[in-house]
Amino acid sequence: MADSAAEARVDRALVARVLLGDDRTAFEQLLRRHQGMVRAQLRRLLHGDVATADDLAQETFLLAWRKLDQFRGEARFSTWLYRVAYSCFLQANRKIPPPVGGADEGEAERLPAPEEATDLQLDFERAMRRLSKAEQTVLLHCVQMGLSHEEAAYVLAMPLGTVKTHATRGKAKLKTSLAVWHEAARVEEAS
Amino acid sequence: MNPSDDELIDALLRSQFDGPVLDEGFSRRVMQRLPQHRRRVAWPVWGGALAGAAACWLALLSSPLLQTGWREWVSGEWSAPAITVLLAMIGMALLALIWGVAEADHR
Repeated sequence: MADSAAEARVDRALVARVLLGDDRTAFEQLLRRHQGMVRAQLRRLLHGDVATADDLAQETFLLAWRKLDQFRGEARFSTWLYRVAYSCFLQANRKIPPPVGGADEGEAERLPAPEEATDLQLDFERAMRRLSKAEQTVLLHCVQMGLSHEEAAYVLAMPLGTVKTHATRGKAKLKTSLAVWHEAARVEEAS
Repeated sequence: MNPSDDELIDALLRSQFDGPVLDEGFSRRVMQRLPQHRRRVAWPVWGGALAGAAACWLALLSSPLLQTGWREWVSGEWSAPAITVLLAMIGMALLALIWGVAEADHR
């Protein structure tokens, strides 16, 4: 928590330097500090499409450079960046027509396979794909990226209640999908 | 859902996320594409607008069209000069609106 507060202070100082004097070195530091998570967020949103994700990440940072004066400090800088990235993703998504037929299977092929994926992980990945897009997106931001519900609501421009509902429903669906594994584990423990 | 189920789901979700991506030249590529200045300088735009307005005023000064059109419009006569002046004003307002919206979109 203290680390995260210190990180936020460093970000705010760097942002102030950029705003005061178009300081490119300060912006480069911000870029290097946050590119990893922004690209990871976009890769996940784009189901592992690395090239498009990196193009959108580049667009995100160019936009951040131009619109930095709109960062008012009401959220952490990283959260603001995720919001910009998510807007870029939504805008690009509107331009790309959805795949015709068998969309879920197509997506399944493009998803990055975890290294040494176990059966449980593979089943879990399949269960994730059965969630609605909103549930997947909320779980990505709340659990995988470690944002609070409030921060996820800010990034996704969703009401807080909706975020909480999607998170709860998503987890409940995942639990139902993995009930077989739970049963097997209980039987194994009992024997 | 009990707390241990919740923790298992959270752990599985986290294991599916690869975490931050390595830079591998990404930041360098972005910095190369970054414009030199964040804000565009405003004075050429305002200078151009003022020069354009002054040129229009000078050009119309000797023409009776503007004065006649304005006079007839004010007196409620819908003559050709009055309609021309009205259309010109609507056109300029529309252009200013489109320009304003485009600028707001780029900021």
